[in-house]
Amino acid sequence: MNTEALSRQFAAELDRLPRSAEAAARRAAAFEAFSAAGFPTRRDEQWRYTDLKPISTAELDFAPPPPSTELVSRVAESLDQAGFDEATSRLVFIDGCYCDTLSRTTAAAGISLASLASCSEADLPVHAHAPFDGHPLATLNAAFARDGALIAAEDGARTTAPIELVFVAGGRSGLAAHPRIVIDLGQGAEVTLIQHLLDLEPGRGWFNAVTEIVQAPGSHLTLYRLQDHGTRQFHTALMRAELAEDAKLNCGYFDLGGRLVRNDFDVRLAGPGAEADLNGLFLASSGQHTDNHIRMDHIAPRTRSAESFRGIIGDRGHGVFNGKVVVHRDAQHIDARQSSDNLLLADNAEIDTKPELEIYADDVKCSHGATIGELDDDQLFYLRARGLADEEARNLLTFAFANTVLERVALPELRELVAARVAARLPNGATAGGTR
Amino acid sequence: MLTIENLHVSVEEREILKGLDLSVNAGEVHAIMGPNGSGKSTLAQVLAGKDNYNVTQGRVLYRGEDLLEMEPEERARRGVFLAFQYPTEIPGVNNAYLLKAALNARREADGEQPVDAFEFMRLIRSRMELMNISKEFLNRSVNEGFSGGEKKRNEILQMLVLEPSLAILDETDSGLDVDALKIVAAGVNSLRSADRAMVLVTHYERLLELIVPDHVHVLSDGRIVKSGDHELARELDARGYDWVQQEAASA
Ligand SMILES: Nc1ncnc2c1ncn2[C@@H]1O[C@H](COP(=O)(O)OP(=O)(O)OP(=O)(O)O)[C@@H](O)[C@H]1O
Ligand SMILES: [Mg+2]
Repeated sequence: MNTEALSRQFAAELDRLPRSAEAAARRAAAFEAFSAAGFPTRRDEQWRYTDLKPISTAELDFAPPPPSTELVSRVAESLDQAGFDEATSRLVFIDGCYCDTLSRTTAAAGISLASLASCSEADLPVHAHAPFDGHPLATLNAAFARDGALIAAEDGARTTAPIELVFVAGGRSGLAAHPRIVIDLGQGAEVTLIQHLLDLEPGRGWFNAVTEIVQAPGSHLTLYRLQDHGTRQFHTALMRAELAEDAKLNCGYFDLGGRLVRNDFDVRLAGPGAEADLNGLFLASSGQHTDNHIRMDHIAPRTRSAESFRGIIGDRGHGVFNGKVVVHRDAQHIDARQSSDNLLLADNAEIDTKPELEIYADDVKCSHGATIGELDDDQLFYLRARGLADEEARNLLTFAFANTVLERVALPELRELVAARVAARLPNGATAGGTR
Repeated sequence: MLTIENLHVSVEEREILKGLDLSVNAGEVHAIMGPNGSGKSTLAQVLAGKDNYNVTQGRVLYRGEDLLEMEPEERARRGVFLAFQYPTEIPGVNNAYLLKAALNARREADGEQPVDAFEFMRLIRSRMELMNISKEFLNRSVNEGFSGGEKKRNEILQMLVLEPSLAILDETDSGLDVDALKIVAAGVNSLRSADRAMVLVTHYERLLELIVPDHVHVLSDGRIVKSGDHELARELDARGYDWVQQEAASA
């Protein structure tokens, strides 16, 4: 995709969107910022292990036409079959376009749920307009984002059941969707949110999302994401979060597919006592590439962070874990932990791990550990000596490796769903029977 | 049931079993004793199918078929069971799941239907009681964090559930307290029958007071150097191995 083609698409898109002059100016500025530098390359330190060429050279349509009624009904049917029940508060997007008929915006008291396009400028929190310095793909999202989700919780509001955001790729090839998710939690609010990303049919497209989170003091956000795209989708996402005093963020990211996956996390622990836990599990085989790239800023004292990512990397798969922890000046009593554990299932599987620490305070507890291993021969033999076939034993042990991440999922139904999806994606299509 | 002829096994160029002969008939219990490092566990592991041992000579027949040709899982499905000297911890794999999968693998090989959850529970309840293993163990990971004695009892529980034709117990009595030893012996004895055979590897005669063997063998430096009956075990207990080794050397 050359810059000229991109500019043409941008110009057309800008005209199409009925937005204020201010908004249009912001988009134009974002687009300019992006095109000035272009797609990042591997010469850029932040992109050393991930080559975006498959995306930057693809012919993509950045302004996907809205889904046909026929497509909508097929999505409805497949969600129905997948067990998505109607009572759940849920926003559904097809190829990045909000789908009113499949969504249910009523939620618990004090919680509002809306498609971004339906919100007026005034509904949006101020931060929704902050530029994404250092995140070129998020900047591109800022230029092209046409819709997304706004989840806002008033002070003290709580979700009684998880809110769901469902992003479906409809199978039309070559579409690039740029959804934007804005999460704004008032003081003491408690919200659980699940993002589902799935493909109706295998297709080649690009999903480039931005999730912005602002948490007022004492608020809790539990955010799960089940990224279950097919093996040909490109998936890139930035999650940016700012936590005030005693706010807690707990994330579980499950990346099960995608040709090229890059997750950026940018978390700022800005108030004393704020805590963030990022847990991740990814599967990459058949030439797939998954990169988790984290920046954790401990700005205030007494803040705690823990990142724990596990990768299962198979045939020609490539995993990357890049975790940077920055402890700012005068941010004392910090506890920051990182771990990246990886299971390599093939000789040609690859993993790059790069922990980075920048510490400008002195009372700091930091730890990071990276492990890279294969399946354990003694364990394999023990299982086979009990009559389990070699493949079954391998899958069971692979699943067991994943299971430590799954066990941290506090919602039993979601845990089962993720477990089943993980099992289905294992090299030999195992059962999830090893779970507890 | 089991015929081992002139078995030579080496690990990384080093010969450990040096021409071992042993014949075990259905209905019999054989005890194998011998000094540390003489090759007892090597024999047990080779019989179960561990692949980092090289069989350089000899053969092993199980019910008339070449055992060494079979994959480990095939041996298990056909009724060969090894109770490990050091049972492997497998975090994240559920104990009950493994028991059930192992049982179903064996049943499938026998052309039987898999057990359902209800039947499975019925089947294991009495055996767990016999082994004095509480129900919580079912939901724990295989051997993870089990005490030494718990691991051994768990091995015997698996054996009771799988009802093997040929059971090889590698030092299942080591590290057990007196009560646990009795429990394990009761479990093993409950399986003794005319169509089953057992090979007990042990260092202690006191196990053989509880599970009385038909034959006792001394394995030394990779060979069976002496065989006898229960009386031999008592003699070894009293006199140690030196005299047997000397006898063998002068023969
Ligand atoms: N995988 C291996 N690699 C290297 N050496 C091995 C291996 N397995 C066994 N051996 C060696 O072979 C010899 C026999 O070991 P084995 O475990 O069979 O003895 P054992 O008779 O069971 O002893 P113990 O009574 O202590 O259990 C030992 O010297 C041991 O170090
Ligand atoms: Mg031994």
